[in-house]
Amino acid sequence: MPEPLIETALLEKLERLTIHWQKSLPGLVGGHNTSRFSGSGQEFLDHRHFHHGDDVRAVNWRVFLRLEKLFLKMFQLEPRIPVRLLVDVSRSMETGEIPKFDYARKLAAALCYVGLVRLDSICLQPFSDKLSDAFTASGGRHRFQPAVNFLSGVKPTGQTNFLEVAREFVSKFPQRGLVIVISDFLDDGDCEKPLQYLSDFGHELILVQVWSAEDREPPWVGELELEDAETGMHVELAFDAGARAQYTAAFDEYSQVLRRVALRNGGRYVSVATDVPVDEAIFGPLVRSGAVE
Amino acid sequence: MSFLNLSLGELLGLAGAISAGVVALYFFDRSKRRQRVSTLRFWTAADVRTELKHRRRIQQPWSLILQLLSIALLLLALAGPRWGGEDNSSRDHVVILDNSAWMGSRARQGTLMDDAKASARAYLKSLPARDRVMIVRADALATPVTAFESNRQALEDAIRQTQPGASALNLEQAFEFAQRAQKLQSPRAGEIVFAGAGRVAEQEASLAAIPSNVRFLPVTATGENVGLRKIGLRRSPAAPDTWDIFVVVRNYGARPHVVDLALQFGGAPAGSKQIALKPGSEEQATFSYRTRVNGWLEARIINARDAFPQDDRAVIELPAQKALRVMVYSTEPQLLRALIAANPQVDAVFEAPSKYDPQVKADIVVLDRFAPSARPRADSIWIEPPASGSPVPVKATRQAVKLERWRPETTLGAGLRSKDVMLESAEVFAAAQGDIPVAETAEGPLIVGRIGSPKIVAIGFHPMRSSLKYELATPLLVANILRWMAPETFRRLEVQAGTVGTVNVALEKGTDPASVHVLAENQRPLPFTIEGNALRFFSGAPGTVRVVTGDRELVYSLTLPDVAESVWQAPPTVRRGIPRASAQGVSATDLWPWLALLGGLGLFIDWLLFGRSRAFRLRATRMVARANWRTWRKAS
Repeated sequence: MPEPLIETALLEKLERLTIHWQKSLPGLVGGHNTSRFSGSGQEFLDHRHFHHGDDVRAVNWRVFLRLEKLFLKMFQLEPRIPVRLLVDVSRSMETGEIPKFDYARKLAAALCYVGLVRLDSICLQPFSDKLSDAFTASGGRHRFQPAVNFLSGVKPTGQTNFLEVAREFVSKFPQRGLVIVISDFLDDGDCEKPLQYLSDFGHELILVQVWSAEDREPPWVGELELEDAETGMHVELAFDAGARAQYTAAFDEYSQVLRRVALRNGGRYVSVATDVPVDEAIFGPLVRSGAVE
Repeated sequence: MSFLNLSLGELLGLAGAISAGVVALYFFDRSKRRQRVSTLRFWTAADVRTELKHRRRIQQPWSLILQLLSIALLLLALAGPRWGGEDNSSRDHVVILDNSAWMGSRARQGTLMDDAKASARAYLKSLPARDRVMIVRADALATPVTAFESNRQALEDAIRQTQPGASALNLEQAFEFAQRAQKLQSPRAGEIVFAGAGRVAEQEASLAAIPSNVRFLPVTATGENVGLRKIGLRRSPAAPDTWDIFVVVRNYGARPHVVDLALQFGGAPAGSKQIALKPGSEEQATFSYRTRVNGWLEARIINARDAFPQDDRAVIELPAQKALRVMVYSTEPQLLRALIAANPQVDAVFEAPSKYDPQVKADIVVLDRFAPSARPRADSIWIEPPASGSPVPVKATRQAVKLERWRPETTLGAGLRSKDVMLESAEVFAAAQGDIPVAETAEGPLIVGRIGSPKIVAIGFHPMRSSLKYELATPLLVANILRWMAPETFRRLEVQAGTVGTVNVALEKGTDPASVHVLAENQRPLPFTIEGNALRFFSGAPGTVRVVTGDRELVYSLTLPDVAESVWQAPPTVRRGIPRASAQGVSATDLWPWLALLGGLGLFIDWLLFGRSRAFRLRATRMVARANWRTWRKAS
């Protein structure tokens, strides 16, 4: 019997969490994050002058009787916006003593469960060099099992191409929403521009960088023949402690770039190592970043 | 310094082989490692490290040196070197205790065996307590009494229980056995100690091809020895009731001796002779003694007061002379009397046919030209039987019959070759299947033998009434018939008293090996070999052995002790006497624990500094990485 993707104990702990976004995004009522857009909410927001075309049902008639002027009551809107989980399934996710691919799936499943419990509209979208078939579910924890089945059936394949993926994404999903990207972001090309591109289209980004210990600080020394997991390219080099320090610095620099991309666009950045348990990663870095509360 | 477990060559060989393996493994282990990574961007694009320009054959020479040094130390520990003091390691000795017959000789006090036991015990006491000893008793065969044993009590018991045997010493075999035992069962061979008189066969007297680690503890007899060597008896060919007796006496000493040899049969004197013996020589005395009864014949050297009295007397049992009882029923006994009663081993009685008794007490019954109503129970010879009562059917009766052919290939026809025999009248038999035809005409057999119980021979003519009576074939035919019917009576018997050990028997020419049987006292067959006309068998214990070869029977009474003729002259290089008790106080220091500790420590240090302890290193790396990451996050 295969190991379950998420333990029941963890699911119980996840019940109290909510996916949180910062941007005011338009959407139907029923969400749990306030928006700067007024609408048919419950909480009073403000008054404004009546203009032609406004709904007369929203006129504050008490004020009209006293001042004989038409004022319109505005209410705070809590829109229901789509949460889209972009899960990297490229071959680079297979590497590491604890494969990043499994870790990313667990993380995606956990976030999916959090969203479904709060009746969010969830879309699980695997990607590598292009978008694969997606899984969409909205509302109710009873939709979680199909989501788990979907994630279990996903196999790592292809080479990461963020630019192509971003292009496909904006054309496939015109409605703005929350985009949670779970990836190692190890694209041979530049992934800064594609992420900026997504943000420019109005999506709120939460970047979750998953990395293994070998990715950040390779333990090997001596003569190495390295093979790129995605491209299959080989390179031979000598590696020692000094080289390792340089390598780690380069990796950290790259993580900083990702962090800057997320923050400058009002998003959030979370870095998670695979040797940290999934529950610790959620209740630690993810909660601290404000992605879930 | 000494190596206990390995020779220097073995140590260097092992060290070389293992070092070669370690170096090969080192190059394999430290060779270029293939690794699959998520991306190459940080390896190549980032300013991490130059690409490999040249391969360093040895990247961590100190690791290799440390490994080789540690392995060398462990190997040295395995060799078990010692520092200082004498070599105190346990050694395995073999003590060969001579228990040949000669060891029963008189010594100054007790016997030679007692002296040899005392020497062996003294040798045991001189050995360090940790040394192991194997006790081997050696006479004609080398027999181990104990395994390599350090229990001194068990060894002394084995020595105490050793008694002189009856056979001569086979020293070469004993040395070979001891050498093989040390080679196969002993990690550190000690000495091979021979305690005994060393009286061996002449060919072994100058035995020099002996192991280099032999020590000789000699014991010597006080006096000279004259003894019986062999006694042989056989029936005189001329007078079957007379025994020809041969006695061989040997002087083993260095001085001439004159001895009186006396024979007694059943306690009564049967003869005596005085024999003068030169040093190292043998003399044979011959006696004749007439008796038909069985009894004990004793040969004794009367006036020999020598060191070894066991070979001064020998006793042999003589079997009774059994006569063959033949009852002849004939109306003309005078014709057959010369033919049958001439044999001294035959006791013939002649009676008229009217007195025929089918249950007569005889070994063979001869029926001359008459057929009784009841056939005899004993074996019978039918001469010209009437056709109506013949045991073998008569086909026809012919006049002037020519005897065409003898059958010399059969036992009954052996040696019969008379030709052109014309018989005035003869019966021709109709032989049944299994019958043995002896003489034939063209029409059929004239003499037929029938195998069964009882045996029957039918002769179709009267041998003394025909022209055959002048032929040699007639007595031969009768002799053949009697021998065929009662072979044990005519078997030639020889009795010999000899020594135990290997016995050589000269066979008659043409003896069929299938007819040879060698039987021990309990009638069990003994193994033997036949080479040409020589039969050889071995008897390790005193007793009687019968050798049956067709019509000849030899009885060996192997009761005389086998005293070898010569004394082993040990080469001058052989150590002699009891060695000094080894010093127990000075002890050597075992180095192996320290060497093993150093070797293990070296390997541990190598593992810590250079080892590929993946789990350990990965865990450490991750802990450092995580700490660095937290620091970086806080800072950023």
